[in-house]
Amino acid sequence: MSTPALQLRERLPRPVEAAVERARLTVVPRRRARAARMPFVTLVSLVLLGGIVGLLCFNTQMQQASFAATALEQRADDLAAREQTLHDEAQALRDPQHLATLAHAAGMVAPISSCTVDLATQQTSGSCTAATGANTPALEGPGRRKPPVLNPAPQVVTVTADPVVVQGGRGPRAGR
Amino acid sequence: MVFSLFAARLVQLQGVDPGQYAAMAAAAGTRTLTLPAQRGEIFDRFGEPLADSVEGRAVIANPAETTDDAPAVAAFLARELGVDYTTTLRKLRVKGSQFQYIARHVPATKADDVLAAAKAQSDDVDGFKGLFTQRDPIRIYPAHDVAANVLGFVGEPSKKADVEAGRTYQAYGGLEEAFNKALSGKDGEERYEFGAGDTRLPLGNNTTVAPVDGQDITTTIDRDLQWYAQRTLRQAVIGAKARSGIAIVMDTQTGELLTLADYPTFDAEDPASAHKSDRQARSLNLAYEPGSVEKVLTMAALLDEGKVTPRTKLLVPGQLDRQDRPIKDHWEHGLIKLTLAGVLAKSSNIGTVLAADRFGSGELRSYLEKFGLGAVSGVGLGGETRGSIPEGPAWTSQVGDRIAFGQSLSVNAVQMAAAVNTIANGGVRVDPTLIRGEATRDDGTRVGTDVSTTRRVVSEEAARQTTKMMQLVVDPEDGVAPAAQVPGYSVAGKTGTAQRVGTCVVDGVKQGCYDGTVTVSFAGFAPAENPRFTVYVALQAPTVAGAGGGATAGPVFSKIMGQALQRYSVPESTAPGKKYPVEW
Repeated sequence: MSTPALQLRERLPRPVEAAVERARLTVVPRRRARAARMPFVTLVSLVLLGGIVGLLCFNTQMQQASFAATALEQRADDLAAREQTLHDEAQALRDPQHLATLAHAAGMVAPISSCTVDLATQQTSGSCTAATGANTPALEGPGRRKPPVLNPAPQVVTVTADPVVVQGGRGPRAGR
Repeated sequence: MVFSLFAARLVQLQGVDPGQYAAMAAAAGTRTLTLPAQRGEIFDRFGEPLADSVEGRAVIANPAETTDDAPAVAAFLARELGVDYTTTLRKLRVKGSQFQYIARHVPATKADDVLAAAKAQSDDVDGFKGLFTQRDPIRIYPAHDVAANVLGFVGEPSKKADVEAGRTYQAYGGLEEAFNKALSGKDGEERYEFGAGDTRLPLGNNTTVAPVDGQDITTTIDRDLQWYAQRTLRQAVIGAKARSGIAIVMDTQTGELLTLADYPTFDAEDPASAHKSDRQARSLNLAYEPGSVEKVLTMAALLDEGKVTPRTKLLVPGQLDRQDRPIKDHWEHGLIKLTLAGVLAKSSNIGTVLAADRFGSGELRSYLEKFGLGAVSGVGLGGETRGSIPEGPAWTSQVGDRIAFGQSLSVNAVQMAAAVNTIANGGVRVDPTLIRGEATRDDGTRVGTDVSTTRRVVSEEAARQTTKMMQLVVDPEDGVAPAAQVPGYSVAGKTGTAQRVGTCVVDGVKQGCYDGTVTVSFAGFAPAENPRFTVYVALQAPTVAGAGGGATAGPVFSKIMGQALQRYSVPESTAPGKKYPVEW
């Protein structure tokens, strides 16, 4: 019993036979091709290093920002306090008592009546009388009441009309 | 051996309650800050601040660090903060203490400057290292005594619970106390982790609860007019040698109170220097008998009932003998013929009683209640007295006679101003108000112009006739109070001179009795033909000779009313109409 391969070899011409011989497949050992490790390790290391450096930079920047924020908050507090102080001073200047004192010093008094001047007609209307100061109240009140210890009742000493005769006095007045 | 100790410590830290140690570690690096709510401001009707809150500091010393250098530190603080040297020296040397207040409520800028100056010296003198500051807000009252009795004041918390809760203030009296909850707001809190240099960790835990600031309150007070009324009142009280005085300006149509002036009063910036009784609003807290000003209400009620007219003829004897005691007038006279208008113009008690005899049972009392007497006016301040109107068996015939001319009943000044304002407002009573808009008191009561009500008490015609009768009171010929006139304006008003109730001992028992002093008052409105303001002035217990409603309170009324009318540019009055006859 002949195999099909032998039959084919027998039937093929010589050049073809040679070609078939060349093309015969044989089992060869598998070759393992490994990629180079170095670039990958380098890449990963660079990424890690970059990440760490970036994180450090980020953290440093955040810390710096935190310091700056603290300083700015302090400055904002200082400025707010300054603004409030100025606000207080402005309020003190607007105090009616303060304004009245300034007005009084400038010779101003409260009017007795209202008088309107019509600028167009140069006419006055209303009760036009000169301000006299009668309606201007005293700006300062009485002083504070002192406690009895600071404001003792006056000691009244009744002096008798009879002259006091000193006899045999021993002080410096004696003999005068 | 050493490693065993370390191992044991490790087991203790990690095995025994590690959570607690973690929490302790976290707490050591965590800071909690209270974010203070700003206390609401109190404004006058034009937005001028009457009470304001600003940032402040408490300067604190740690005696453990300052004791050794106390003289130098005390001298520095006395110079920079104006504190007493001896007291400060003692505080800097307190044994066993690490916390002593040196100065409180110091303006933040000043406190920071002082602390910076102290730090600069701390290299040379260690004691300066024992100074630090703490937040301590300042409540300021820019106008000092102006409206102080209305505002009240705030002080240090005195109750232990308030101190532990970290409350900044305790309110005493006035709007500060009545609206304390609304003004206070709610403090917030910030919690964060911190690192070196006290800076917060950027990625640490950070929680913030924002504070809710207190509500601002806008009053109806006119600060400048209030100032003028207070100064004028002070001058009058001192001049009359009176015990106290009250002056009220009320907007006729809206019922807004432009001034509630009291004297003696106090400086809200320095309340401790005043007597406690001078820190209250007498205009609401003091009950007294109104006297003849009340006759206006009696007359208006009679006219409204149609029982009389301004021309009703009355025969007025020199003395009216009633059940328990004779009734007299303030001047000696025989039998005179007065019209009802004349009775009011001359302020005749006898004529008023004779006219009031026409009331049916309970009618006058009903009118007085409608005018607002015997009930709190509800302007918003605490401690308001209701006054009293006798009722039931207490309203005897004799009492009814006296009530008709303003004795045997008691009122507060705001009640009386609102009652007279009813006549000015055409017979419609409008609730007096002190708050613009609306605000809620701590007890939940809503007050203010948005919730005020009106009610008709007498007819418009009765109010008009009463007004014309009141104009006679300031008439130089027919009236008793020409000094209450305001140049350029027609005034309708009424005087009052009432006996005051004091305490006396009868048969060893203390009881109320007339003590010989009087309340002099004047209530009126202007311009009479179209009223803009109602002004009420009352002085308690004047001791100068000749003190009376017309002579003593009338000029005060004139000045305050004149100032109010000019300030609000009220046009002057036109020619007066025909007067009612006063005699027949």
